Amino acid sequence: MSNETKEVTKTENKKPAKAEHAGERTVPGKYYIPQTDIVETDTNLIVTMDVPGVKKENVNIRLENNTLEVDARIDFSPYDRLTPLHAEYNVGHFARTFTVSNIIDTAKIDANLADGVLTLTLPKAPKAQPRRIEIR
Amino acid sequence: MFPLSNTLNTLLSLQEAMDLAQNQDFFDSATTSRGVYPPVNIFKNNGDLVLVAELPGVKKEDLHIEAKGNTIRLAGKRTIDYGKDISYHRAERSASQFDRTLELPINFDPDQVKGEYKDGLLVVFLNRAESDKPKQITIQ
Repeated sequence: MSNETKEVTKTENKKPAKAEHAGERTVPGKYYIPQTDIVETDTNLIVTMDVPGVKKENVNIRLENNTLEVDARIDFSPYDRLTPLHAEYNVGHFARTFTVSNIIDTAKIDANLADGVLTLTLPKAPKAQPRRIEIR
Repeated sequence: MFPLSNTLNTLLSLQEAMDLAQNQDFFDSATTSRGVYPPVNIFKNNGDLVLVAELPGVKKEDLHIEAKGNTIRLAGKRTIDYGKDISYHRAERSASQFDRTLELPINFDPDQVKGEYKDGLLVVFLNRAESDKPKQITIQ
């Protein structure tokens, strides 16, 4: 993907950039669906999510019955002593669920969080990797 | 009730209504107030301003902040590179180049402006300039 300058219009600003998560939660605060890229390479499936404001210790990744669930919470405490004057976006936690097919080697899933971007590397099971077939 | 207080009351409500209609936006009629990237939230902290923007995946060295008078400029770019030989299943994040200038209602000392970038959040502390602070007037 090449660099592109974002064209901004007034109407674009009207639609919220962050979509709110529909599921009901037990913790207070809004939940948003993080913007996510999923790309596939020969050996891995890479899931990249934007979770600004989330610290490593507040990310919960669960894999159960082929369902990969990501729950990333933000820390509201720095906002405590601040009075909002002008708002252009809302802040909240992030959650998203994916169904992982059985071609993934679930034991070797790797997660990394840097600059508010969560990267999950899901290695493909060896049998699912492309195999070049030699012609005899 | 005195007619005067009635009149004053009417005037006050009228002024309030007019203020509400004209100054609903924090930036008044400045063109930069809407529809630009990155969206920012502005907070007040003891007379100083704190600006917060969500910029996940932007490298610190790609982020430029300039401040002068009551104007702050946020510029930078976000690049997305997954390397070669990939296929996309889902592409929601976008690479972008941004440049936004904000005019704020206070003057700040450019040397005192402090920026922090952590966990994909840019926080800029804009401390009110000494010349902008109220002065005690002694009644003679």
